[in-house]
Amino acid sequence: MIAKRFLAERLPLRTGALREGLNEPIPGHLKRWWFALGGTPLYLFLVQVVTGILLTFYYVPAPDRAYDSVRRITEEVSFGWWIRSLHRWSSHLMIASVILHVLRVFFTATYRKPREFTWMVGAAVLGTTFFFGFTGYSLVYEQLSYWGATVAGNLTAAAPLVGPFLARMLRGGETISDNTLTRFFVLHIGILPTVLFLLVGAHLLLVRLHGVSRLESPAEEDRRTFPFFPDHVLTECVVFLTLTVLLNTLACAFPAGLSERADPLNPPPHIKPEWYFYFTFRWLKLTGLKTAVATLGAAGAVFLLWPFVDAGLRRRRPGSEASLLLGALGFLGVVALTVWEALA
Amino acid sequence: MTLNAKKALVAALSVVFLGSLLIVAWIEGGKQRFAPEPESLLSEESRGCYRCHLEKTPAIVGQWIGSRHGALGIGCFECHRAEEKDVDGWKHGGRWIATIVTPDDCKRCHAAIADEFSKSAHSRAADVAGSMDAVLAERLQGRASAQVGCERCHGMKVEFRRDEAGKIVKDSEGKPLFAEGVWPNTGMGRINPDGSRGACTACHSRHRFDIAMARRPEACGKCHTGPDHPQEEIYTESKHGVAFTNALSQGLMHLEKREWVVGRDYSAAPTCATCHMSATPDLPMTHDPSSRLSWTCRPAVSVHPEDWEINRDNMKSVCMNCHSPAWVDGHFAQYDAAVDLWNRRFGEPGLKIMEALAGAGLITPKPFDDPIEWTWYFLWHREGRQARMGSAMMGPNYAQWEGFAEVAAHFFDRFVPQARELAKARPEASGALEQVLASPEYDGFRAAGDEDRSRAEAFYRGRYRQGIR
Repeated sequence: MIAKRFLAERLPLRTGALREGLNEPIPGHLKRWWFALGGTPLYLFLVQVVTGILLTFYYVPAPDRAYDSVRRITEEVSFGWWIRSLHRWSSHLMIASVILHVLRVFFTATYRKPREFTWMVGAAVLGTTFFFGFTGYSLVYEQLSYWGATVAGNLTAAAPLVGPFLARMLRGGETISDNTLTRFFVLHIGILPTVLFLLVGAHLLLVRLHGVSRLESPAEEDRRTFPFFPDHVLTECVVFLTLTVLLNTLACAFPAGLSERADPLNPPPHIKPEWYFYFTFRWLKLTGLKTAVATLGAAGAVFLLWPFVDAGLRRRRPGSEASLLLGALGFLGVVALTVWEALA
Repeated sequence: MTLNAKKALVAALSVVFLGSLLIVAWIEGGKQRFAPEPESLLSEESRGCYRCHLEKTPAIVGQWIGSRHGALGIGCFECHRAEEKDVDGWKHGGRWIATIVTPDDCKRCHAAIADEFSKSAHSRAADVAGSMDAVLAERLQGRASAQVGCERCHGMKVEFRRDEAGKIVKDSEGKPLFAEGVWPNTGMGRINPDGSRGACTACHSRHRFDIAMARRPEACGKCHTGPDHPQEEIYTESKHGVAFTNALSQGLMHLEKREWVVGRDYSAAPTCATCHMSATPDLPMTHDPSSRLSWTCRPAVSVHPEDWEINRDNMKSVCMNCHSPAWVDGHFAQYDAAVDLWNRRFGEPGLKIMEALAGAGLITPKPFDDPIEWTWYFLWHREGRQARMGSAMMGPNYAQWEGFAEVAAHFFDRFVPQARELAKARPEASGALEQVLASPEYDGFRAAGDEDRSRAEAFYRGRYRQGIR
């Protein structure tokens, strides 16, 4: 009792408010597993933070030492292969789960008024996650790292007005140089995690402010609510544990490897970025640099502002499924380009 | 799903999770468990050497553990084994071994490489014992200087101490004792007790035998350096050397690669090995660097070696991995022209003049007792080689200032006046000398006059506001 009072005096927490927060009523449809996809990337991000911190103990962000330090992590450091494999696989799964979460939100139309900002912050999370993946594989300093960064630098430079400036900022000069790796490292371990924490925080805050969205025409069992704790927390625990086992399995069965060391004078004959950039790479090959940058930029803007685009479409043609159709077509287009590039 | 079912699922998944951690631990443990102890891979014979030498010579064992031989379990005995009948063999730790590992020993596993090496000029490096360089070292400098200088690179014959009856003297353990001054002896052309020639360790330093080290220019630079064969210095000043230094700092050379094929495993810069020995997409690796050489620039007058056209094509094929045919043909045209120039203007005339002086008895048969012999020796053996080798390897300073400029200055200002002074005593020698010097080859020198002087004066006055006299 004395200890409890000692703590209560020094940590004057309002336990009632905490209980109220944890007992937030959750709509019945969240009992379905695919509605737990929002928590998945958050969990995977935490895995990335922990494994990422451990990797920085050994990683050296210098062009002449980066590759060897990654090799050392993979081959010599105790459990280095495991930590690196968890980091790599959780990055793939995180990107996949963010994409799935976006798809779920899109096709259930839960981004609509008043949750437009929630969508926009979520879209920014997706973009940041892509950038995270890109800076991550650039750090390994293998051939894909170097030539991927070269392509990305050229794409950035081709953007109108601010493109050349942004490319210079990204590369630390007119070309890929010693500065580039340092910048990517700072982005990957400092700036992007901070940005992502802030965005995820804002996203969660908006979710809590608006409450979890209701389905437009819920089934009878979905009309009931259930408490966040322990019901939904246990659901998330199941998801997290399953993911952890999956990650361990992937790390053990397909540990992260290492391809050729970066060679700035020797572009590999066949190079592909990571799978999540396949669609942009294929589009780039199909349309050329300028067109690709312009169209991808426009598509990105439409994606970010989708709730407002959707509202406009529905105002013009009430009751029409044009928004859904447009989204489905866009998604199929991305899938088609991705498969095309994968098979090429 | 009910709350209790969820709890049960969480519990079950937690167990699976812990199980998966055990798998991770097993894999990690396996990495350490299966990382072979060097000793476990060794033959029974080598295991004995390993245990004892781990205590007595831990650094040697440490080098070997880090080597490819160590990783494959090729131990001490596999290379050092000997027969009772071998002159250098002795019984050590219950087995017959030899201290010296010769190319014939390496040949047991590296047969093709040993055969290539046996055909190379490298394997004949000890033949330098018949050259003027050896006369200089042995007669004028002294034996000890030859051992620590020339023979550290060229190698020498391995001989053993013998008693009055001609029997090899052995120490208390039965180990044959080397004759005075012949050991250490890791020169490229070492003449071994088993009759083979060479020392693989000249480039592949024991006991690590690091392939990356052998590919570095510094490995060649131990011997291919200095005023009479400054290949390392020329390479370093050339664009090739500059590119190498830069590429090395950027981790682009990949020197540790097994095959190391230019254009495939690396492309940023060549080392000596790239052009003279290593594999290209069209050529196999060779341990006979002579097979890519189309001139020998070592003697007073440069000559083409046998099969030089094939060698030239080989070298051109290497060059064309990085350069266009126009560049490569142009380079060899410039190189040929520079060597021809040396031969016509300095090498052949110099040799003729020296032969005329000797024929007329104006210089003695005894080497290095006439001042003109020193002048001539340094002219072709140092400056002349620097000019030709600088031209071969695109080192402009060595081609010009260390090379042709020194050659021209010492030929016209020292060698010719010394020869004229000597030839005064014999009209036939004087005639022969003037006949050589009357060659149209020297028209340019003869034609130099007031016009050149005036132009130079104007140049210096214009640029530096001063004359040159």
